[in-house]
Amino acid sequence: MRYVKALLFIGIVAGFLVPSVLCAQSAKFRIGCELPLTGVFGKDGNLVKDAYTFWADTINATGGINVKGKKYPVEIVFFDDKSDKAESAKLVERMATVEKVDLILGGFGSDSVFAATPISEKYKYPMISGGASSNKLFERGFKYYFSTLGKATEEVRGCVEIATILNPKPKTAAIIGADVLFSALACEGYRSYLKKAGIEEVYWELFPISLDDYNSMMFKVKAKNPDMVLVGSHLKVALSVMKSLKEVDFAPKLVAFSYGPTVPDFVKSLGKDAEYVVAAAEWAPNMPYKDAVFGTAKQLNDNYFKRFQRYPDYVEVASIGGALVQQWCIEKLGLVPPLKEADRVKLMEELHNGDWNTVYGRIKFGADGANVDHPPIAVQVQNGKLTTVFPKDAAEQPVMYPAKPWKERK
Amino acid sequence: MRIKNWAGPVIFFALLFVPLLSPEGYYYRTLCMIFLWVGLASAWNLTSGFTGYIDFGAVGYFGIGNYATALFMTRANVPFFLSIVISGILSGLIAIFIGRYTMKLRGAYFGIATLAFAEAAKQIVLEFDRTFKVRFFEGSHGITLPIAHNEVFFYYTFLVAVSTVVFLVFVINRSKFGYALKAIKEAEDSAELAGINTRRYKVSVYSLTAFLIGIFGGINAYWSTYISPLDVFSVLHTINMIIMALFGGTGTVMGPVVGAFVLSVANEVIGSRLLYTWLLTLGVILLVVVVFLPRGITGSLSLKRFKR
Amino acid sequence: MSLFVQALVTGLLMGGVYAAYSSGFSLIFGVMNIVNIFHGELIMIGAFSTYWMFSLYNIDPFLALPVSIVSVGVIGYIVQRVLINRVVEAPPMISYLCTFGVHLILSNLALLLWSADFRTVTTSYSGVGFGVGPITIPIARLVTFLIAIATTYGLYLFLEKARFGKAIRAASQDKEMARLLGIDIKKVYALTFGLGAAITGLAGGLLSTYFVIYPQMGLPYTIIAFCVVVLGGMGYIPGALLGGLLLGILQSLTATYLNSGLSVAITFILLFIILIAKPQGIVGKGIVE
Repeated sequence: MRYVKALLFIGIVAGFLVPSVLCAQSAKFRIGCELPLTGVFGKDGNLVKDAYTFWADTINATGGINVKGKKYPVEIVFFDDKSDKAESAKLVERMATVEKVDLILGGFGSDSVFAATPISEKYKYPMISGGASSNKLFERGFKYYFSTLGKATEEVRGCVEIATILNPKPKTAAIIGADVLFSALACEGYRSYLKKAGIEEVYWELFPISLDDYNSMMFKVKAKNPDMVLVGSHLKVALSVMKSLKEVDFAPKLVAFSYGPTVPDFVKSLGKDAEYVVAAAEWAPNMPYKDAVFGTAKQLNDNYFKRFQRYPDYVEVASIGGALVQQWCIEKLGLVPPLKEADRVKLMEELHNGDWNTVYGRIKFGADGANVDHPPIAVQVQNGKLTTVFPKDAAEQPVMYPAKPWKERK
Repeated sequence: MRIKNWAGPVIFFALLFVPLLSPEGYYYRTLCMIFLWVGLASAWNLTSGFTGYIDFGAVGYFGIGNYATALFMTRANVPFFLSIVISGILSGLIAIFIGRYTMKLRGAYFGIATLAFAEAAKQIVLEFDRTFKVRFFEGSHGITLPIAHNEVFFYYTFLVAVSTVVFLVFVINRSKFGYALKAIKEAEDSAELAGINTRRYKVSVYSLTAFLIGIFGGINAYWSTYISPLDVFSVLHTINMIIMALFGGTGTVMGPVVGAFVLSVANEVIGSRLLYTWLLTLGVILLVVVVFLPRGITGSLSLKRFKR
Repeated sequence: MSLFVQALVTGLLMGGVYAAYSSGFSLIFGVMNIVNIFHGELIMIGAFSTYWMFSLYNIDPFLALPVSIVSVGVIGYIVQRVLINRVVEAPPMISYLCTFGVHLILSNLALLLWSADFRTVTTSYSGVGFGVGPITIPIARLVTFLIAIATTYGLYLFLEKARFGKAIRAASQDKEMARLLGIDIKKVYALTFGLGAAITGLAGGLLSTYFVIYPQMGLPYTIIAFCVVVLGGMGYIPGALLGGLLLGILQSLTATYLNSGLSVAITFILLFIILIAKPQGIVGKGIVE
């Protein structure tokens, strides 16, 4: 019995120490990516996984990354951080040191990515994410972290500035949001843009993300009767807010979310109740973006649907954009796998220098790694479809404003 | 058996020399994680396994430890080792207060009371700044700690911490103190009648557990470099401690060690391969253990099962 | 003033929801002394039952409730017979491990089958309420509230008057004596668990119409049920209703006059204080070991 115990012990330790991939590489790029595939951000993590898979499959269909005339296919190895930041840090360290991947693609969720950034910085792996935008991420002076999304407080600009084209202009607004880093920052963003727009903030509340019943809070918001309700949210919060607004029978003239409605499940779950909802976005299929790999935004949208039977959320396209510019830098620098640390340092510098136009729009990283000058957009659910409504020159349709009271909607 | 007594020190000395092998950063990180969980599970077991009072709020002290260290280091520039000691003591003191009242309760009531404590602590940290209009805990923004890239440093810190905890449990297990605790578990009322001041023993061990958990919390803060309330006060951490201790066998010294080690390693090796089915597999494994090995792994493997 | 009344009404309705999904937990604990950690998964399965009935077959969720009741009840019965029965006599730690294992299996199986998507049932009348003066009362919540009262009362009557109900009570009060009197304890336990599960499934089925559901939603609900039942008194069936209503009103009032975050903090602090002062629950009829 003792022997069995000892053998078991040794076996487990041995299995743990042996690196997972000992195969000879060189003919391809191995890319590591850790995402929340389970846990509280499991849904969003899987979206980003789809996005990166889409990018990999698209370029592999042409043979792979084109370096100095030779094509190298890419292989992405995914890991699940279970929405836990300690796991995410550990996995990045694993990808860098044990798996010895050539490249890394960034994950989702500001908290987890936050924990991962010191690791990618330490091992000099550029890490570009399309799913983490909290301002704190850019305040640590790291050179190796990049984000194709704008900063969280700026992403919501479209939701407030849209007021400038509404008639009559909204005078009051309520701000509510889930009390986690990203949505709390989104709310702070709303607050500062409201001040600039001269709209009065009549209600402010950050609530626990675990809250299920929003009605008590919503009755208070209703009592203030704001013209606009601005919400710092992820998908679950967005859905819950809409259910609650209907239950308390309050239909503000405009409801805007920092994130959530652009995920197709939102409209699918709510049906007609989703109408009029405005959401911050950083990409929409009608935008005049294009590149040589994916074509136009609309083409990407359609191809994505063919592949996954759903349209992409903007976070997914932002992720694709990140993978794309990393690819272009590699092609430009002529880096051949397996990549050495010196190669990755060059890659980092090239990423800081670049200014690209992609199917996601313009990507140019500032010194702190954030995407500068990526104009925030606002979309609205009109007749069950996400329609770009802001900025005016990119709008497909004018904004439907004000929203009809619940009892008047068919 | 004799061998068992030497296993601990031997393993400890072996681990001291691991850095000489210059392992990759990932291995340091994983070993640190294992040490952390072995330490937490052992500390939890010290109270819950020995006295039978199942604590559902242990993460409260973990969170307090994290925040105390983070605040002392970033606001008052207190050096790391002093910070974690203060964190431990703070946790221990709070536990004396909490324990004094909760340990009048039994079974599930004690569990819920401690759970309420941990959840309240989490929410208080989230709401404090807003309610009192100060900048202190930083709420959901979290606190960033200075980055110390020296993985060897954390390796030894965790190693010393976990070894101390396991040794402490070992000593208590054989001491009169431990005997009293086990008496409380077997038949508390009889113990009381026999003259044992059960309350003093219960609160003492509970406070000791909190002190140890608080220290690990402090180390965790510096090691993670960023903490936020939802993360360091999460009930999932308590559940981890409970499952690891139960899996390995409560009320024993090596039980939580084996449980935490096996589950952490399995999570690492198997969990990263079976992306979507690992937790499902774990559930099945737990049921198998429950049905066939009701005393946990070490309990069933121990030949001293019937020795009192 | 109307804000206060609305908060009170909202709290009562919230409490009804709490009571609805907690009574099953109380029953199971009261009879078998088992803290069912996969309780939340029973709610989840009940919720998904109505969701799938609605989204796949367009059956109204209220009409689909029997599916929730039966499916969850059956699952409860099977798990009890196959698994729980083995550990019901064992120390509590074993039952924690066991029910936790089932929790992992059920929630992750659901995740595999149904993906992590967040869903909710939106019918044409979803969220619709009626107004009583300035007060708004959502219909689905009111129905849940009434069902909570009905099931609590029904359960209470069943345990008091029905032969099998009395057998259940006998088994919970004195197992050995009940056995001696010829009661098949294992059968009683299995049916009790099934009954508790069925009630929980019913509550879950209603939830999908006003809450957002997802495979991993279970654990927080288990914790709340635990709190509700302890507040009202473990094993005391009307206590679940009382505890639920109390909790609902407390949360609603504090959320209205302070904010949601403080409401959660105060709720837990108060729960702590109440437990210390009155461990047998508010009414003092709970089981204390």
